[in-house]
Amino acid sequence: MTPPTPTLQAGDTVPDGTFRYIPYTEDLKDTVTQSLDITEDLKGKKVVLFSVPGAFTPTCHVNHLPPYLQHYDDFKAKGVDIIAVVAANDPFVMSGWGRFEGVKDKILCLSDPEAEWSGKIGLALDMSQLHFGIRTARYAIIIDDLVITYIATEPGPGVTVTGAEALLAEL
Amino acid sequence: MAPTVKVGETIPAGTFKYIPYTPELESNAACGVPVSLDITKDWKGKKVVLFSVPGAFTPTCHVNHLPPYLQKYDEFKAKGVDVIGVLASNDPFVMSGWGRFQDVKDKLLCLSDIGAEWSSKLGLSMDTPGGARTARYAIILDDLTIKYIEVEPAPGVSVSGADAVLAKL
Repeated sequence: MTPPTPTLQAGDTVPDGTFRYIPYTEDLKDTVTQSLDITEDLKGKKVVLFSVPGAFTPTCHVNHLPPYLQHYDDFKAKGVDIIAVVAANDPFVMSGWGRFEGVKDKILCLSDPEAEWSGKIGLALDMSQLHFGIRTARYAIIIDDLVITYIATEPGPGVTVTGAEALLAEL
Repeated sequence: MAPTVKVGETIPAGTFKYIPYTPELESNAACGVPVSLDITKDWKGKKVVLFSVPGAFTPTCHVNHLPPYLQKYDEFKAKGVDVIGVLASNDPFVMSGWGRFQDVKDKLLCLSDIGAEWSSKLGLSMDTPGGARTARYAIILDDLTIKYIEVEPAPGVSVSGADAVLAKL
């Protein structure tokens, strides 16, 4: 499958949108989903956002998310306020996946239902023929006060330009 | 909601995708490869308990519906049950991840009814903002014949729970 090309580039403002998620709590009360409004909640912040086609799927699970968790302190040292992972799975699955990976409150696990917001930047993938529906592509963005400073999609299987080390080098 | 099939009838054909449990998955570093389960072929001649939840990791299911099935595994086996399966419309990777999260190992098959397609053949799917989901129900099959089929009338777990199903075996 050829990876999609983003319709925005460094210097553009991120489109408006909402993600749903379940905030991490020690006692894991799973019942309440919250909204993250991009324009309101990410204003003035330095954000690293990476996207995976699905929670618990190969590559993502093993190779994409764990390095972001391992490098958490390195990201913080570079002034990153929020690290987030996005997929089209529902917020309960994203929360479950986050707990499975032990991310606690270090990485926000966000749901982009039907890859709606990702689709606004041209980064949704139609995987219907695999019965997976519309998914988010494997991409990563650095956002500084709502302006994109880095945006990349993975050109093939595996993790390179969207991985933790690549992003750290851009910060 | 009422099922469109009843006790005494043959279960409709269908396939589910799932990731079979292997010890390698325990390390949480591998994800496995989905395979198909064909109801008519794979459950012929078997006694099967199948319970369905609207979603992996969602309230009720996660806390109240699945765990008792796992805790009472030996009791199900003592009643001659060959297969216990949990079903939802989540994809097979999510079902496998949920199963590992709940530590079911090979005791429960975590099956994916993508798009709630098979469940809707039984009249047991529901439309939600996120797409079609499977309702909360439970079925007992004996050699492909339905022996018990009940859907939860309200939030919570009663007729589709482990105790209710055990009482019918």
